[in-house]
Amino acid sequence: MKVPFPPRQSQSQSQRRRIRNRRQCCAVLCLIPFLFFPSLRFYYNSSSTKGNRHKIMSDKGGKGGKSALKSPAYKGKDDNSAKLKGRKVQFDSEDLYDDKFDTNENGKSNGKDDTSFSKGGKGDKGGKAGKGSAKKEPPPLLLKVEQELPENAKCLMDCEAAQILQGIQEHMVLLSKDPTIKIPSSFDRALQYANRGNHYTNPQSARLVLESLKDQGLSDGEMCVIANTAVESVGEAFGLMPSLKAKKSKVKEPLRSALTELEKLKNVAESTKKAIVLD
Amino acid sequence: MSLLYDSFVLLRINHSLSLDLSFCGSGNLGKMFFHIVLERNMQLHPRHFGRDLREKLVSKLMKDVEGTCSGRHGFVVAITGIENVGKGLIRDGTGFVTFPVKYQCVVFRPFKGEILEAVVTMVNKMGFFAEAGPVQIFVSNHLIPDDMEFQSGDMPNYTTSDGSVKIQKDSEVRLKIIGTRVDATEIFCIGTIKDDFLGVISDPGTTS
Repeated sequence: MKVPFPPRQSQSQSQRRRIRNRRQCCAVLCLIPFLFFPSLRFYYNSSSTKGNRHKIMSDKGGKGGKSALKSPAYKGKDDNSAKLKGRKVQFDSEDLYDDKFDTNENGKSNGKDDTSFSKGGKGDKGGKAGKGSAKKEPPPLLLKVEQELPENAKCLMDCEAAQILQGIQEHMVLLSKDPTIKIPSSFDRALQYANRGNHYTNPQSARLVLESLKDQGLSDGEMCVIANTAVESVGEAFGLMPSLKAKKSKVKEPLRSALTELEKLKNVAESTKKAIVLD
Repeated sequence: MSLLYDSFVLLRINHSLSLDLSFCGSGNLGKMFFHIVLERNMQLHPRHFGRDLREKLVSKLMKDVEGTCSGRHGFVVAITGIENVGKGLIRDGTGFVTFPVKYQCVVFRPFKGEILEAVVTMVNKMGFFAEAGPVQIFVSNHLIPDDMEFQSGDMPNYTTSDGSVKIQKDSEVRLKIIGTRVDATEIFCIGTIKDDFLGVISDPGTTS
């Protein structure tokens, strides 16, 4: 007796083969965008975990599993184009995370990795770089003097410090007679250094001249550098302090007149030393 | 001798009060000397209690603090005044009394990016060491201009090819600090003279 139709088992096998082939094609199609756009791997984590769950079920289960597999496969096929479109739209906004998520090879990672990576990014850049706003810019090199010193700290010019330490040294002469009292070596060195940086006969007058530059936006630190290094020209001041260059147009003329005033206040020893060098 | 020290302490405090510190600026950007207010808890043995308690406390503070170094404030060069001495608290079990003391002092601290003048103390093929107050600075040969070469001998030095500029022991140089390191007792810096307007200010020969 001839069997008009092929047996049911062979039909289901071919069907199964067709389904398997379709699934493989779908998988390949799904992988292609990830090859070109690695950032999408992360974005589709949630959907991939769902897919994995279904796969596990299919491995364990029988027909139920198969039927469960069918639906997502079809859905996947139907939605592929939509998802691809969706991916195109969404990955543009996710582009910024490319650098961070390149190292994430685990496709099964969830949203938790988002936060950990973002936190890591912040940590790498430091708290001062801003909260996630400048991701690719190098962290700015900030002078943390204000954080390191108390708020009531006051800058002293070398000539001012020399005046203070000189007064203290006169009293210390009395102590030198007592062998048990040790005068710290740092005091002598600091005094020697301050005296070497003392270019002006009257520190108060020098301070008054430089205070006039405060209205032009000069900071105390910049004023102290000008006083301590006995800057002679405006060009030298701009060369030593790049921060001053930014205010060049505003500061040039007042700085020139202040330097002329400071020249008059300089010590006699300084001016003779200059004369010898010029000769 | 203790009376001598106590009288010195009084003189110091009175001197600092008479100093017009109002001329000091209120900024704090990259500068060596600072005038700041610090606080410290001082422990005093009961044998020092009496009418000279305050002077004893101040003299102990000076012995403990002056000449010390910390990463935050740098070298404490000298105490210029006492702002406030708080109420003493007796420590359980010992009998010592702790007094919170607020004091003004001159501190000496280098910062990165600072320009300063230093005296060369040693020269070798790796670079040269210089001193600015109590701070030691090392300038590597990589941060010395390329036209200066090391010359060994009795007086090792760095000299330009035409011999016009020489860096040797006791030379004064202007340098920029690019890094700092703080130990328990000292601050060590790395400097450069490769930028504009940096380098030798005077040779030991011209100054003598």
